[in-house]
Amino acid sequence: MPPFLSEEVKKMKKNKAMIVGFILPCALTLLVMYLYPVLRTILMSFFAIDSVTADVGTWSFNGFGNYARIFGSATFLTSLSNMLKIWLVGGILVLTIALLFAVILTSGIRFKKFFRAAIYLPNVISAVALATMWIQYIYNQDYGLLNSMLEMVGLEGVKWLGTDTKFWAMLAAFVFGAVGYYMLIFISGIERIPQDLYEAATIDGANKFHQFFRITLPLLKGIIKTNLTFWSINTITFFLWSKMFSPISSEASTIVPVVYLYDTVFGSTGNAERDAGAGAAVGVVLAIFVGIIYLITSKFLKDDDLEF
Amino acid sequence: MKKKLISLLLVSAMATTMIAGCGSSTETTTESAASTTAETTAESTAETTASTTEETTADTAAAETGELPDYSGVELTYWSMWNSAEPQGQVLQEAADAFSEQTGAKINIEWKGRDIKTIVMAALESGEKIDMFEDSDSNMATVYKDYLYDLTDMAAAADYENHSFKCLTDYLVNKAGFLCAIPEQPQVGGVFYNKDIFEACGITEVPATWEDYLAACQTMVDNGYQPLALDSTYADFLFTYHLDRVIGTEAISDLAVNGGWSENEGVIQAAQQQIDFINAGYLADGAPDEYPASQNKIGLTGEVAMVVCANYVASEVNNNTGTEVNWGMFNYPEVEGGVDPSNAYAGSNAIGITSYSENPQAAFDFAMFLTTGEYDQKMADTASQIPADPSNTAPAMLDGTIETLQATVNPLTWNAGLNDNADLKTSLKDVIIGLYEGRYATGEEFAAAMDALY
Repeated sequence: MPPFLSEEVKKMKKNKAMIVGFILPCALTLLVMYLYPVLRTILMSFFAIDSVTADVGTWSFNGFGNYARIFGSATFLTSLSNMLKIWLVGGILVLTIALLFAVILTSGIRFKKFFRAAIYLPNVISAVALATMWIQYIYNQDYGLLNSMLEMVGLEGVKWLGTDTKFWAMLAAFVFGAVGYYMLIFISGIERIPQDLYEAATIDGANKFHQFFRITLPLLKGIIKTNLTFWSINTITFFLWSKMFSPISSEASTIVPVVYLYDTVFGSTGNAERDAGAGAAVGVVLAIFVGIIYLITSKFLKDDDLEF
Repeated sequence: MKKKLISLLLVSAMATTMIAGCGSSTETTTESAASTTAETTAESTAETTASTTEETTADTAAAETGELPDYSGVELTYWSMWNSAEPQGQVLQEAADAFSEQTGAKINIEWKGRDIKTIVMAALESGEKIDMFEDSDSNMATVYKDYLYDLTDMAAAADYENHSFKCLTDYLVNKAGFLCAIPEQPQVGGVFYNKDIFEACGITEVPATWEDYLAACQTMVDNGYQPLALDSTYADFLFTYHLDRVIGTEAISDLAVNGGWSENEGVIQAAQQQIDFINAGYLADGAPDEYPASQNKIGLTGEVAMVVCANYVASEVNNNTGTEVNWGMFNYPEVEGGVDPSNAYAGSNAIGITSYSENPQAAFDFAMFLTTGEYDQKMADTASQIPADPSNTAPAMLDGTIETLQATVNPLTWNAGLNDNADLKTSLKDVIIGLYEGRYATGEEFAAAMDALY
C-alpha cells in the first residue's frame, strides 16, 4: 500500500469516527424518543394494561382483545364516523375555500397582504378562545350572531347546538379557523409557478378559468398532496374542538377517536376506570389510517411527472 | 486531536446519560431513591428516623393543643392540581408558608393544574420524589391507591373523624380498603335555587317530595318566573338524579351496563315524569342550552329560579354574570314509591400521601393544617367552596350544603351509576339530552331509544 493512500485511509477512519460521533446523539434521540414509544404502543395494544407507564412485568397478553373491545364499542365507532365526516366534508370545504382564496389573493387584487393576514388570523388565536367565541357569541340562541341575523330578517332563531346540529356547528367553526393555514400553503405553491406560463396562455387566448384548470391545478399537484396529508393528520388528531363543544363530559354527537382514547386511558367524569391497552389499540388504528391515506394520496397524486 | 477527543467524550457522556435516563422503571426507582437519600442531610435523616411513636404522641398533643411539631430540615414535595394564580392555589401557597413558619418544614409546591391526572401515575410508578399530591377522590381510591400511604392510624391519633365528612372518608375507605387520602374541597349535588324568587313566590319551605316540587314550579310559573335552568352538559346528571330517586343507583348501574331499560317500570315512570315536567313549561327558556348559557340566566335575567348541579354552580354563575344571587340549596326531592331519598351526589378532591414518602407524618400534618381550622375556612371563603371540616362554616352562597353532606350516608357517584358503562355513556348521554329536547313523546319511547344502543 502506497504511503499516501494509508494516510487517506487513516483520515477517512478519523472522519468516520467524527461522523458517527456527531450522528450518534441525534440517532439515539430519535430511536429513544420516537421509535421506542411507537414500538411500545404497538406492543401495548396487544396486552391488558391499566396504566400507560405500568411496568412491563404487570402486562398480561390479550391478543387482539383490545382491538375487539374498541371495535365492539359503539362510542368508538361513532367517533370514527364523526372523524370520517370531518375528514370528508370538512376536507372538501377547507381545501376548496383555501384554494379559492389562494387563487384570488394571487391574482393581483388590492390589499392582498391585509386579506392574507385576516384569513390567517384565526390560526394565531388560541383554539380555546376561538371555540368559546363560536359557542358563546355566534351560536348562542338568545343573543348569538346567527340568531340575531335570522331575527333581523324576520325568521325564528335556531338551536344551533342541539344534539342534531351540534356536530355541524362544530365543523363549521373548525373549518373557519383552518382555512387560512391551507390557503398559505396553496399561495406558496401558486407563487412558485412561473409567470411566463400565464403570459403565454393569455397570448394564446386562454381565459382565467382555463388558466386555473390547465395550468394552476396541474402544477399544484404536489401542494395538494401536502395539504391532503396535513389535513388528514389534522383530522385524525382532532381533539380540542370536540372537548370544547362537549364540556364536562364527552357527548356522542361530537366525540372523535382521540377524545375516546383520552377518556379510555385517563378515565372520565364519573368513571375512573383506565385501560391503556385499549388506548394503545386506538392509537395504532389511527396511525394505520394516516399511513393508508398517505399511500393513497401518493399513488394518485404523483407530483414528479411535471417539471417547471 | 485533543478537541476531538473531548468532543467524542462529551458525545458519549450525553448518550450514556440518555440511556441511563430511559432505563426500566424499577431501576429508576432505586436510582432516585438512592439519590434522594444521598441528598438528605445527616440532620434530617436523624430526625426522620426518630421513632414514630414519638411523632404520633407529639402529633396527638399537637392536635389537642393546636401546636405543630418541629419539622426543621424536612422537605415536602407537593404536586397540586391547581395553578398558582387560582384562588385555591393562592390559599394553598399561603398555608404552606404558614406551615413552614410554624414547623420549619420546607414545602415545594409544583403546580400541575388539572392535567395532573395524566402525569402523576407515571411519576408514582417511577418513584419520583413526591410526598403528597391532589386529584379527585375517585382517582385516589381506585387508580393510585397502591401508591398511597395508609393514613388510618395517623387520622385516629389526630381525631380526624370529628373534622371530616363521614360520607367522604367512608367512600375512600370502602373503595380503597383503607383511608388512602384526605378529602378537600367537598362537592355536593342537589337543587341550587335563588332564595329571592322563592320568597317572592311565597314558597316558604323547600320542596321535599316530587309533588311539592311540581307545585312549587307551578307557583313560580304563575308568578312569571321560569323554574329550572338546564344546560345539555348536565342533562344526564339531572335525569339520573331523578332516576336514582325512583330505582336507586345500583339498578341504574346495572341498566347502564346490561341494558333492559324498557323492561324497567321505574325508568319509564321517571322519563314520563320528566317529559311531563318539560311539557308543563317548567324548564327555562331555551333549555337545554349550551353550557353555561342556561345556568347563567339565573344571574343574568333574575327570572330563572333553580338548577340541579353540584355546589360549584353557585360561584360559576356569580362569577360569569357579575351578580350576587341569594343562593340556597336543598336535596333533590323524594319520588313517591321510590327508594331512599336522603343521599346526594357527593365527592371531593383529595390529598394523597405517597407510600414511599420519607416524611408521611409531616405530610399528614400539613394535609390537616390545610383541611381543618383556619386555612380550611380561608379556602372555603376565598374559593367559594364547602369547607372540608364540618365545624367550619360554608360561605353564604353555599347555605345548606354542609347539612346535606352530613345527611348523606351513601353518596351518589357522578350520574348515579350511568357512567359505569364507559363504552356507551356518551351515547346514553345524547339520548338523555334528546329527552329534554322533546324528542320522545312517552317514557316508553325514551326507554326504547336507550335500549337501541345495546
